[in-house]
Amino acid sequence: MIDRSERPFVRPHRLAGFALVIVGIFVVLSVRLWDLQVVNGAHYRSLSEQNRIVRVPVLPTRGVILDRGGQLLARNDPGFAVTVLPADVARARQDELASRLAPLVERGSDEIAKAIADQRIRNPYEPVKVSVKPVAREVAMLLIERAELYRGATVTAEAMRVYPDGPLYSPLLGYVGPINEAELATRKDLGYLLRDTIGKTGLEYQYERYLRGALGRREVERDASLRELRTLGLTPPKPGNDLVLTIDDRLQRILARELEQGVREDRFTQAVGIAMNPQNGEVLAMVSIPAYDNNSFVRGVSSAEMKAWNGDWRRPLVNKAIADIYPPGSTFKMVTGLTALSTGAATRNTVVNVSSSVMVVDGWRFYDWTTHGTVDFVNGFAHSSDIYFYTIGGGNPYTGQRGAGPEAIAKYGRMLGFGAPTGIDLPGESGGIMPDPDWKLATFDEPWTLGNTYHAAIGQGFVAVTPLQLLNSYAAVANGGTVYKPRLLKEVRSPDGKVVHTEPPAVARKLDVKEEHLRLIRESARRVVTIGQAYMPDAKLPIAGKTGTAEFGESKGLDAAGRNVLGFHNWFVSYVPKEDDTDPTAEIAMVILMFDSSRSLCANCFNPAVALTQKVLEEYRGVNK
Amino acid sequence: MSVRPLAIPQPSSPPHDRPSARRLLDLDWILLLATLMLMGYGLAMGYSITVEDRNFTGDVGQQMLRALLYGVVGASAMAVVALVDYAWLGTLAPVIFIGTLVLLAIVLVVGSSTLGATRWVTIAGFNFQPSEFAKVFMIIVLAKWFADRDVRSPFTLLGGLAILAVPVALVFRQPDLGTSLVFFGMFFGMAFVAGARLWQLTALLAAGAAALPLVWGFLKEYQKARLTAFTDPYSDPQGAGWNIIQSLIAVGSGSLTGKGLTHGTQSPLGYLPIAESDFVFSGLAEDLGFVGAVILFALYIVLLFAALSIARRSRDAFGTYIAGGVAAVFTFQIMVNVGMAVSLMPVTGIPLPFISQGGSSLISICFALGVLQAISMRASAGGQRSAG
Repeated sequence: MIDRSERPFVRPHRLAGFALVIVGIFVVLSVRLWDLQVVNGAHYRSLSEQNRIVRVPVLPTRGVILDRGGQLLARNDPGFAVTVLPADVARARQDELASRLAPLVERGSDEIAKAIADQRIRNPYEPVKVSVKPVAREVAMLLIERAELYRGATVTAEAMRVYPDGPLYSPLLGYVGPINEAELATRKDLGYLLRDTIGKTGLEYQYERYLRGALGRREVERDASLRELRTLGLTPPKPGNDLVLTIDDRLQRILARELEQGVREDRFTQAVGIAMNPQNGEVLAMVSIPAYDNNSFVRGVSSAEMKAWNGDWRRPLVNKAIADIYPPGSTFKMVTGLTALSTGAATRNTVVNVSSSVMVVDGWRFYDWTTHGTVDFVNGFAHSSDIYFYTIGGGNPYTGQRGAGPEAIAKYGRMLGFGAPTGIDLPGESGGIMPDPDWKLATFDEPWTLGNTYHAAIGQGFVAVTPLQLLNSYAAVANGGTVYKPRLLKEVRSPDGKVVHTEPPAVARKLDVKEEHLRLIRESARRVVTIGQAYMPDAKLPIAGKTGTAEFGESKGLDAAGRNVLGFHNWFVSYVPKEDDTDPTAEIAMVILMFDSSRSLCANCFNPAVALTQKVLEEYRGVNK
Repeated sequence: MSVRPLAIPQPSSPPHDRPSARRLLDLDWILLLATLMLMGYGLAMGYSITVEDRNFTGDVGQQMLRALLYGVVGASAMAVVALVDYAWLGTLAPVIFIGTLVLLAIVLVVGSSTLGATRWVTIAGFNFQPSEFAKVFMIIVLAKWFADRDVRSPFTLLGGLAILAVPVALVFRQPDLGTSLVFFGMFFGMAFVAGARLWQLTALLAAGAAALPLVWGFLKEYQKARLTAFTDPYSDPQGAGWNIIQSLIAVGSGSLTGKGLTHGTQSPLGYLPIAESDFVFSGLAEDLGFVGAVILFALYIVLLFAALSIARRSRDAFGTYIAGGVAAVFTFQIMVNVGMAVSLMPVTGIPLPFISQGGSSLISICFALGVLQAISMRASAGGQRSAG
């Protein structure tokens, strides 16, 4: 034992205290370590994995869209996009990065900063796309080469949707665009990401589920400076399926060419043309002119373009084949006629004396476009006598001749598909108006008058239809009484070309009418052409159909060149039976609507839609030479 | 060379003492064993870090050779120092003091910078960090100061602080907040062991706490950020909080037994900054887990207790205070370094003895432990033989 008195400098209590402090420190450190490593070890281990491994979602390639012959209508071209992973961007650097990226992606820096901030709240480990338009190659290279300036931003290859024919198919195809908050909210569970593209309208929207495909995942190991060291695993994305449409690109082009030429030559201002196969409801062509270039929406539509489209009174963004409604005019006489036949108000031999072009009922005057003499059903239809159809539709109180009546016209009209959407596989279809006394009472709080019936009988007044509805009703007559749901989708193919889904013909309803009555209508419709009402010189095909002149909008009189300013709009709805008979064999039906076509025509000139129909159908069938 | 001692040598501290073979038996074998094991641990961690480091472009073998060389130099220094009577150190204390100041001043003038701090002097291809040696030298100077005076007098305490002021200021200028704090840890540890009045120490601590706002003004922005980030690292996870979060992830993910030596991912992928020095413990805990950390702690405790035991056995106050000082510095560094890795302490760059890689730290540690062995070898001589 050391003598304490001789060694006063040794203070055992202090040393013991020191030892205690040492032990205390290590106990505290050990307890803390136990908590971190043993109690919460699993948590931190997963964090270290998350640190190291990022799961980068890999977007699938969108399916392409083809016509029935395999022609590409929508494809994907390589492009670049800029994304930002919020986890890689310090909050303090966020605005700086945003302002650096802003000129490169042509967006406001506050927009970009907000996109990053929003995503940081949502999921900081999922990249958010900050470029709206596809990024140019030079910009992509700059971002890659000067990566240190743009820490957190990544350039990814991203397919860019291309519509080779732009306006030709834009009314059908629609376009894709960056997903928005609302769309994302409803589709999050379906594997959509904030930087996703989604079908916004048209078939791109309608068949998003086929075109989309499924996300893949790439697991990447990264170091702290976010360099990707290696890919640890890859779950490849499942590419979207391809759509094969019922559209025949050849017919679409012929139709569009003729209609565009008419607009270009100012023979009419707008035009709609639809063709379908009456035997199954397949739409073979659908043209709405003027249209817009859907590629603009993919690239990011400029405000100037948008202004131009919105400022055009012809509304190029609207697919007028399905979304707008018009008075069908005389084409509606088919409905009145079929109703009169079915209700017994008329037979083939019902004759009306149209020796005057005006019919006076209760002091109101109802005009015909000319005097026709005494006409029977076929000739009344063929010559498009208004008074004949006033009579069989509404009756004549003076002669006591009974008419079908407005309820019956509405009943058969609805049976033929008027007053409700046809159910075509496109968004935004309008239902049109099939009026009856109840409808008028509910809508205008006014009683129905005989005059209303007369107007309805010749497709004026309240009746309003979409071109597709009109076509579909004639298709039902042409095929012997089946109303199909029109459709654009023929089949769905997997990327390797296997057919995974074939869209079957969908029957909406069967017409509750006698076959002989349909046959009489078909005979009359053929007669429209053969007697020259729808004049077809040197006709090569047994085309049958019905002309119509819709009057809507106020006529503004004549312009300086003596043309009508806003006036008549010409319809011609037709079909082509296999032989020149009344059998229900037609495999093509077509409707054409020309807006303001009277501007270059005299009032009684031939309906220009007829000649155009003849030209298109003959060229399509290859019999025009 | 004529040096005027600062104080009169005490009888129990003979100016000359020659080593003899007999004294080798009085080596503190436990201390030696703990030292060697810790050096081995440090080498293993150095290997792990070097192998893991995917950005390291040099030759792993050469890196290890360099670490081994440091070990050999350190061990030799330890042996030489142990064989010389440490009383000489007391005699040379003023020279050592002035030498330390010169060294630290040189750093500020010709030192090379890393990460915004000037801490290194390059001599013959070796990076030399004078502040590491300054710590050991100041232990000697301070021990001499306390040994020659009445520690119970407030003037002795204030004098000790005054002696430390210049080196602390020089180190603080580098800037190296951590090392300057080590000096204060050293001061309080040694004053405590030397028997300073507790109320005086408490008063000093209180005064220091009161002066903190003043010190705050001298801190660099990043130092402030680190200190505040410690309270809530997730307030800026990409900035000041980054180190802390990544360190916690590294430590925590080690779990009970660790990912295995060289199998950690946090430091090699660069998530852990300064993984070979400041955050070396995080990498150790990740590689070797709780078990590895506790083994390290056990070795430290053995070493520190051996130091305290030597303090107890020392023949003179000078030796006791040196031993206490070494124990204080080690304890302080371990506490701060490990505490920082597990987010109990703010982030300051202090190396972890033996484990942090770097020649200056290891060699200065060996020097200090050599002095302890010298004290140990002469303890019984001082304690009992002088009486006889």
